[in-house]
Amino acid sequence: MERLLTNYFETASVVLFVIGFVTLLLHNNLIKKIIGLNIMDTAVMLFLMAKGYINGRFAPIIIDEFKGVSGYINPIPSSLMLTGIVVAVSTTAFLLAITVKIHEKFGTIEVNEIIDKENEVR
Amino acid sequence: MIITSFPLIGILLLFMTAFVMPLIKTKSLIKFLSMASFFVCCALFLISLEYTINNGSYLYKIGHFNAPYGIEFKVGIIECIIAVLFAFVSLMVTWYSCYNIEHDISEGKIPLYYLLVHVLVGSLLGIVLSNDMFNVYVFIEIGNLASCGIVVIKDNKDNIKAGMKYLIMSSLGSGLVLLGIAFLYSMTGHLNMTYIQKTLAITYMNYPNAIFITIGLFTVGLGVKSAMFPLHTWLPDAHASAPASSSAILSSLVLKAYIIFLLKVLYRVIGMDIISLSPILNIILVVGSLGMIMGSVLAIYQKHIKKIIAYSSVAQLGYIFFSIGLGTKLGIIMCIYHIIGHAVTKAALFLCSGAIMENIGEKDVTKLKGAGKEMPYTFAMFFIASLSMIGIPVFPGFISKWYMALATIEVGKPTLIILLLASSLLNAVYYLPVIINAFFVKDNLDDKIYKSKEKSKKELIPISILIAAVLFTGIASYSIIELISAGISIGGI
Repeated sequence: MERLLTNYFETASVVLFVIGFVTLLLHNNLIKKIIGLNIMDTAVMLFLMAKGYINGRFAPIIIDEFKGVSGYINPIPSSLMLTGIVVAVSTTAFLLAITVKIHEKFGTIEVNEIIDKENEVR
Repeated sequence: MIITSFPLIGILLLFMTAFVMPLIKTKSLIKFLSMASFFVCCALFLISLEYTINNGSYLYKIGHFNAPYGIEFKVGIIECIIAVLFAFVSLMVTWYSCYNIEHDISEGKIPLYYLLVHVLVGSLLGIVLSNDMFNVYVFIEIGNLASCGIVVIKDNKDNIKAGMKYLIMSSLGSGLVLLGIAFLYSMTGHLNMTYIQKTLAITYMNYPNAIFITIGLFTVGLGVKSAMFPLHTWLPDAHASAPASSSAILSSLVLKAYIIFLLKVLYRVIGMDIISLSPILNIILVVGSLGMIMGSVLAIYQKHIKKIIAYSSVAQLGYIFFSIGLGTKLGIIMCIYHIIGHAVTKAALFLCSGAIMENIGEKDVTKLKGAGKEMPYTFAMFFIASLSMIGIPVFPGFISKWYMALATIEVGKPTLIILLLASSLLNAVYYLPVIINAFFVKDNLDDKIYKSKEKSKKELIPISILIAAVLFTGIASYSIIELISAGISIGGI
C-alpha cells in the first residue's frame, strides 16, 4: 500500500489505463469506445511524463536566461509524448470518421444493434 | 559511401512519391510512378543486401547524430532480405492492381489508394530497419492507419464494419506496445535498442517483475496486430472484405513486419539470458500450436473463398509463432524462412482468388464447380500455391515444416510433430476441395466453355511471377537458409 502511495503517478496511470481498456472492450457504443481509447492513450502519456519529471525543476523551455542543466526536467519524455499526442489525435479522427460512415450505412452506432441487423439479413 | 544510405533512400522514396500521388491527374501516370518507385526500392535493397553479405551488418546514423541521441537504422542481412521481400511482393501486387483496381474502388479514390499503399510499405520497411524503439512506435502507428485505410477505401457495409474492428483492435495493440516502451524507458533511460540491451544486461536483477510485465505487454500488443491465435478475430473480416490487392498486401506483408519487431524485442532488446528466465517462449509455443490447429479447423467451416484463405493465414502465423516458441537458432531461421515462403504464396493466393471472384462473380466455393475449365491458368496457379500451403515436397511450405519438425526434435519435444502433421492434413482438407470442385466434377464441366472467362495474359504475368518466386524459394531453400543463418550469427537478430 505504501509503495502504491509513493509512486502515485504510476498507480494513477495504471488505474486510468485499466479504465480505458475496459471501456474500450466492454461498451457497446462506438463513441464510448473511442473515449476509452483516448483515456488509455492519456494514461500512457501520464506514465511517461511522470518518468521525466524531477521535483522542483522547470519545464525545459528557455525564457530570458539559461538556468543551467540542473534547472530543468528531462525533456525527452515530454517531446516523445508530443509525438504521442499527434498520433492519438490522428487515430481518434480516423475512428470518428469511420463512425460517421457506420452511422450512414447501418443507422446506429451501437455494436450490438449492428450485429443484430447483420443477423436479420442472414 | 552512398551504398550505406540506400535503405534510408528507399524508405524516403516511398514516402515522397506517396504524397505526389494526389497531385497527379492521369491515372496511368500514377500507376507507372507507383510501379517505378517500388522497382527502384527493390533494386536499392538488393544492392544493400549484396553490400551487407560482403561487408557485414552496420549501424546507419540518420542525420549524423551519434547513437544514444540520434536515430539509428540497423542494416543486416536479415533486415535486407525482409526488405527485398516486401519491396518485391508490393511491386507484384501493385502491377496486378494496375489492371483491375477500378473494379473495387471508385474512380476518385485511386490516387489515395496508391498513397496509402506507399505509406504502408514505407512504414513497414521502417519497422524492419529501425533500431530505435520510439521510431518503431511511430512507424507502427502510421502503418496502423494506412492498413485500415486500404480496407475501408472500398466503400461497402462489410468493409466499414471490418475496418472499425481492425482499427479498434490494433489501436489497443499499439497502446500496449507504447506502455511497454514506457516501461523499458523508465528501467533503462534509453530508447536505442543496443543501449537498452547493454543497460538491461547489467541491471535486470533490480526489476524482476517489471521485465516480465514488459515482455508480456509487447507479446500481447504485437500479438493482436499480427493475429496471434486467440486475438485473431479481426483478421478474417478485414482480409476477406478488402479489395484483392489490399488483402494480398495486408496478409503477406503487414502481419510479418510486427513479427519481425517481436523477434527484435525478444532477442535484440531484452536478450536471450533474460528471456530464458521467463515462461514467455513456452506461452508463444502453446499459442502457436493452438493457432495452427484452430485456424485450420475454423477455415474448414467457411464458404467464402477469401475467408478460407484468411483463416489459413491464422494457421500459417501459428507455424511462425510455433517456431519462435521453440527458442533455438534453427527455430528462428525457420521463422524467417516461413515468413518469406508464406509472403509470396499468400500474395499469389489472394490475387488468384481476387481474379476468380471478379471474372466468375461468385465467392462461394461450393458454387465454383467446373470453374477450372473456364479459368484454367488461374486455377492452376491457385493449385500450385495451395500445394505449398499444404506442404508438398519441393515447395517452401514443406521445407519449413520439415525443418520445424527437426527443430522440435532438437529441443526434445517430439510429440509436437503430431500437431505439425495434423495441421498439414487439415490444410489439405480445405484447400483440395476447391481444386477438385473446380477441375474434376464431371457433370458440371459440359456446359462450360474452355477458357471463356480467363483473365488476359498481361494480367496473369504478376501472379505467375509470384508463383515462380514460390518455386524459387522452395528450390533455392538451401542457400536461402544458409544466408539467414549467416545473418543471425553475425549480429543477433
